Amino acid sequence: MMAPALVFLVALLGWPALQVVFISFRELNLGELVRGEVIWTGFDNYVEVLSDPEFWTITLRTVVFTTGVVAATVLLGLGLAVLMRHLSRGVRMALQISLVLAWATPIIATTTVFQWMFDQQYGILNKTLVLLGFESYSGHSWFSTGASTLTVIGLLVCWQAVPFVAFTLYAGLLGASKDLYEAASIDGATGWQAFRAVSWPALRPVLAIVVFLSVLWDFKVFTQVWAIRQGGPDGQSTTLPVLLYLKGISGSGFGVAAAVAVLMLIVLVLVTWRYMRLLVRSQETEL
Amino acid sequence: MHKTRGQRVGLAVLGIAATVFFFFPTYWMITTALKTPAQILSPDYDLIPLSVTFDNFASAFGKDGFTSFLTNSLIVTLGSVAVALAAGLLAAVPLARMRFRGRKGFVLLVLIAQLAPLEALFVPLYLIMRDANLLDKLPSLLLVYVAFTLPFTVWTLRGFVKGIPVELEEAAMVDGCGRWGVFRRVTLPLLGPGLVATSVFSFVTAWNEFLFALVFIRDKGNQTLPVWLSSFRTAFGTDWGGIMAASVIYAVPALVFFMFVQRKLVSGATAGAVKG
Repeated sequence: MMAPALVFLVALLGWPALQVVFISFRELNLGELVRGEVIWTGFDNYVEVLSDPEFWTITLRTVVFTTGVVAATVLLGLGLAVLMRHLSRGVRMALQISLVLAWATPIIATTTVFQWMFDQQYGILNKTLVLLGFESYSGHSWFSTGASTLTVIGLLVCWQAVPFVAFTLYAGLLGASKDLYEAASIDGATGWQAFRAVSWPALRPVLAIVVFLSVLWDFKVFTQVWAIRQGGPDGQSTTLPVLLYLKGISGSGFGVAAAVAVLMLIVLVLVTWRYMRLLVRSQETEL
Repeated sequence: MHKTRGQRVGLAVLGIAATVFFFFPTYWMITTALKTPAQILSPDYDLIPLSVTFDNFASAFGKDGFTSFLTNSLIVTLGSVAVALAAGLLAAVPLARMRFRGRKGFVLLVLIAQLAPLEALFVPLYLIMRDANLLDKLPSLLLVYVAFTLPFTVWTLRGFVKGIPVELEEAAMVDGCGRWGVFRRVTLPLLGPGLVATSVFSFVTAWNEFLFALVFIRDKGNQTLPVWLSSFRTAFGTDWGGIMAASVIYAVPALVFFMFVQRKLVSGATAGAVKG
């Protein structure tokens, strides 16, 4: 019964996962690929990648981008989750519907809308800023520098990621029993005290999961970065996943790209190691 | 906790501001799609469409092979949902119910595969598809999407199967059901919510997938919607009405699927990740 799933997982996940390591130790460009040559070069690809200062710039940029997006997403999600608990029914429903819409809209559809809203000439954002008296934003280009481009991309990613975080944390909040809040209220706890004593213990484990998942997801963002400016202007919004694509497909340097992939995985494992271990251990009794 | 009137108003204002923030892009996408080109490019400040036209939708459908990209996306997505569901269900039952060597290790690998950034595998997968002569063909995407959604599917369905009391299945056996009869009459109906949640997950993953669609499919005729839409400048220039109409058409199937099961998806995602 497990055969079909096993075939898929072994052939298209397990085997490629080994292959990516093997390929990273080979010289494999278009020429070698066409001729079917297998040339082992040891750590040459890694030396090439690691000695390129651009790789370090891009890695640092990716880490900063991920940190910023995760922090913004989790804080906004947390704020919205707490807010939802205190809103009246009508407003809460409206907020939840708009969050579900944001969540469900396909990534590329949202990306095109953001490009339209941030459009230099006719975009609604520049129009609004001018209307508010910021005349200098008339015809302002949001994609002329790497920092500005990445900020827009970060906002886009955050906008799409917040709903999941907000709903998950909201579910966590609802998990704290109503009796506890009542007890806190009878004991004369202020809103903040009730949050710390009742909500926070219920939220903490969920928050840890949400941060962990956000790091995993935001670190590997490719679609939005590529669709907005393909890593431009001048490579200034290139992140590690984009570098991987550029080396591998545009440059046909499969060996080097595989080395970048392995390094990317190493960075990710290092960042999430502690939580990964906790997660696996918590599952051991369940297995 | 009792709130003062001021606090209640303040909260409502915050709630409405957040609603507007998250609703605006969707609103802007739909209203732009309904505006005339003249109104879209006019310097006037207009948040509300003054006239409504469906020309943009007609022009989106008329763009170089839009319907074939839509069909490609639908084939790949629905195909991978069906295969992932069938293969995942077949694997989830023994993983939840039977004890055999290597089970623990397999479940652990499924958990890790679910979290791993599978995009990092695109070089070997590209080479595998090249060797299999599948580049530029839709099955290459279908196969990869199945592989990508299987870990989550297996993991979640296994959790749902475990949640069904064994006593129920035993009772059916006592009543004369065979293994298959138990599965069909007891297990399968109780798995409903799990099947819905996993199929939506697969649908959204495949419908959104961009990187592999970009890497595997170079032949323009076999492209999927997201890749084609991302290069809208070549097809539309600055025809923002057309772009937004195409985006709306692309978004509708995902919205329909999503609205359908939003609640289950939240509980499913966390149940799968935390409690198993």
